[in-house]
Amino acid sequence: MLRTDAWLRRALAIGVTFGLVVAACGGTNPTATPAGPTVGPGESPAESTMPDLHGGTIFMLTQNEEFDDIDPQRAYTGEDLAFFGATIMRALTGYVYSDDPVVANGVTADMATDTGTASPDATEWSFTLRDGLTWEDGSALVCEDIKYGVSRTFANDVITNGPTYAIQYLDIPENPVSEGDDAVYLSAYYGPYNGTGQDLFDQAVSCDGNVITFKLNQSVADFNYTVTLGFSPVPDPAIHPDLVDTVDQYTLRPWSNGPYKIEEYTQGNGGHLLLTRNEFWNQDSDPVRLAYPDQWEVLFGIDAKVIDQRMMASQGDDATAVCYCNIQPENLNTVFADPQTPNPDFAGRVVSDYDPYSRYYWIDVQKVPNVKHRQAMAAALNRDAIRANAGGDFAGALGDGVIKPNLGQDYAETGMWTGLLGQPIPDSGDPDFARQLIEESGEPMPDLIWDYPQNPTRDLEAGIVVESLGRAGINVTANPIPGGSYYGTIFNDEQAHQFGWAGWGPDWPNASTVIPPLFTDKGGWNISRVRGEANQDFIDQVAVAIGELDRSAQAKMWQDLNKLAMERVYVIPTTFGLSQVIVGTRIQPVYQWAPWGSWPYAIMYVTP
Amino acid sequence: MVGRSLRQIVWARLRRDKVAMTCLVVLIVYYMIGILGPMVGPSFGLDPYAYDRAAISNRGGAPVLDFGGISAAHPLGVEWGTGRDILSQLLWGLRISLVVATTAAFLSTAIGVIVGIIAGYAGGWTDMVIGRLMDLVLAFPFLLIILALSNVLTDRITDLGVPSGNPSRILYLILVISSFGWPYLARIVRGQVISLREREFVEAAVAMGSGRRRILFTEILPNLWAPILVYATLLLPAYIGTEAALSFLGVGVIPPDTTFGAMLANSVNYFHAVPTYLFIPGTILAVLVVSFNLLGDALRDALDPRVTR
Repeated sequence: MLRTDAWLRRALAIGVTFGLVVAACGGTNPTATPAGPTVGPGESPAESTMPDLHGGTIFMLTQNEEFDDIDPQRAYTGEDLAFFGATIMRALTGYVYSDDPVVANGVTADMATDTGTASPDATEWSFTLRDGLTWEDGSALVCEDIKYGVSRTFANDVITNGPTYAIQYLDIPENPVSEGDDAVYLSAYYGPYNGTGQDLFDQAVSCDGNVITFKLNQSVADFNYTVTLGFSPVPDPAIHPDLVDTVDQYTLRPWSNGPYKIEEYTQGNGGHLLLTRNEFWNQDSDPVRLAYPDQWEVLFGIDAKVIDQRMMASQGDDATAVCYCNIQPENLNTVFADPQTPNPDFAGRVVSDYDPYSRYYWIDVQKVPNVKHRQAMAAALNRDAIRANAGGDFAGALGDGVIKPNLGQDYAETGMWTGLLGQPIPDSGDPDFARQLIEESGEPMPDLIWDYPQNPTRDLEAGIVVESLGRAGINVTANPIPGGSYYGTIFNDEQAHQFGWAGWGPDWPNASTVIPPLFTDKGGWNISRVRGEANQDFIDQVAVAIGELDRSAQAKMWQDLNKLAMERVYVIPTTFGLSQVIVGTRIQPVYQWAPWGSWPYAIMYVTP
Repeated sequence: MVGRSLRQIVWARLRRDKVAMTCLVVLIVYYMIGILGPMVGPSFGLDPYAYDRAAISNRGGAPVLDFGGISAAHPLGVEWGTGRDILSQLLWGLRISLVVATTAAFLSTAIGVIVGIIAGYAGGWTDMVIGRLMDLVLAFPFLLIILALSNVLTDRITDLGVPSGNPSRILYLILVISSFGWPYLARIVRGQVISLREREFVEAAVAMGSGRRRILFTEILPNLWAPILVYATLLLPAYIGTEAALSFLGVGVIPPDTTFGAMLANSVNYFHAVPTYLFIPGTILAVLVVSFNLLGDALRDALDPRVTR
């Protein structure tokens, strides 16, 4: 899934099986949410029993100065995907709006008439488009637009940082060129701007009327989940001659096919993003979005402390605002009586729920190749202090792997802290055992540098890392990196150091979106640099697991691989995160929507 | 009747100034604490790196006790989220702050005096070139440069053999602060030297065939001590503030070490919940800076009683 970053709560996620939906318990929700599996226009209580909920403006307050990427092929931050998916960026399939995480994580039709048809071996998938799909200028949205959107993913020299499932799964050979200028392209198809290999792409993705067919290079039983990420349409210049794709314009001004369109977008402090209604969007063509408010307005660059004060006070326009952020630690005890229960003043408008992310420290296995050294680092780390510093019970539970319990059948306890590394390790670390492991390694422990995206809380966390590893005789220096350039830095082999902070959540409810991206070079989140001879057996097992069609057999494989990765300490898991968020007094419904760990934007409204 | 030297006169005037003497005592105490605190602290159980899990809550990491966790074990409270002792952090942080400020003030004073004397005495082309150089340095956006060059230059310093991490970062702070601080003093000194070089005793020295170095440093320099001393005393608090500001902005020392600026930066996040965490380091920093400023003022008065306030 998605990346988490230094400042924002970003999430993508998965079934939150033990999530605590605080707000939904407190606030009676007059509209649609809980029970039904889908909230569609036809069955919406809004049209039958409730007063008209349309109208008003919902504000979003954020300390960010802009969105990372709105480009349909580049958006990859959970909260952004949820927001833009609900407003301007539709996909073939989507998720159900429900406060029940299990229901919400079910895939449902969006632009397609159903959730897709697979060939018996799941190597070919086809989707039929609905009638009445339009772009914001009123022109028809056709199959070729989706095909064109997918093709942009392959131009990974210019379309960067987005999901790459199209490259991973579509039946197009990998790029045979290994050196020189062409090496930037991962696939033999270079994307629509260069055009090399266009015939290969046309064979893999074909349009027949309003049916789009994807030919895959392997069996993918849940490809209808995959198409929620990076498979959204972009106007095909061949069909819309007045819309020339200059690559970058969609980063600031994507062409809308949802119920809203971008009216104005100014970045930076004091900037805002204003979404107004897209008059050409047709409710009958959209089974997912209710589009209650007339406008959405995102206000950028507000200090996190100011946001908290405004949200807690909820005066004026702030009553119809949502916080695109987490509640600051110092206010948690004001808002919550305990991590499950809001104080009476805030009942019904705050949520404390497991987010989709596992937090962990990656260890570069090329720079720290000795397994015993990595195990010593894990044994020495004071995870209890890290959790306390992050907020204690508000920060979530201590993790034991990269697969979170909310992944359901893919999760099993790894036993990392109860004997997997040789003996049980207390939460506050065991420096003596760490020294013993270093001794067993037969090599002196190298000096280490810990990379982290800087913020005040993580500055203290850095102190904990330095101090607790130091107790085991491991010399660590902290290396703060500005939040915005953090992931760019640590993916650079030259600039990254031995270990550092990270977080990851699944893209859809299958650990195939966790283990392969984190620990193999496919999928692009291999900060641990798991490659080379010593790890080849692991990589081979991952390839077998990806191809396994029996879901429960596959789940067992993910459990085993998660355990093996922990035994080799590719990462040190720290916490399975919990996050706390708040909305104004006139916003409903209030719960954490499980698929992206976000607000349920598409069905939110202002109470009359 | 015994004549008194300038030093004795100034000292006698200072002795009569109660504010100045108080400030002097305060500063001596600060320096003693800065030097001795980290040496004797551990024997009193002070450790800025020790985590006290029992002192902070499981729910959000707030100090368990009121007023930021003030107790017998932690007289000034504990840090939010970790339970580290604030008194210990102040002792260790004070040392870093004083080292940075004192060294940087000494360096910029030395550079400023030497450059100022040379420019003032030589005049002509030399004066003009140095003058433009000072203009150039003064025109630099000091803070931006420090922020922008931080990582690059810190790495360079590490490459030169200084231990990586905080030693490199502290050295970087000292070097950049002093390299941008000297022109102010250099201008003052240059002006003084220009008026001094035409005086009779300088002409006498020249007539007697004294070398240029002797004229500059034996004849002229002693007459400049007053402005230099005053300026250096005012530079110190400014640099303590600069170091705090840079640490606040994240250029200063990195964890687990801390300084005033880093503590203030951190405490701002918890201001509403634990105001003492901001006020205690803030007050101690304010007392230090105010003491330096008042002492500098008093020193100027003592050296130059013609200026009345």
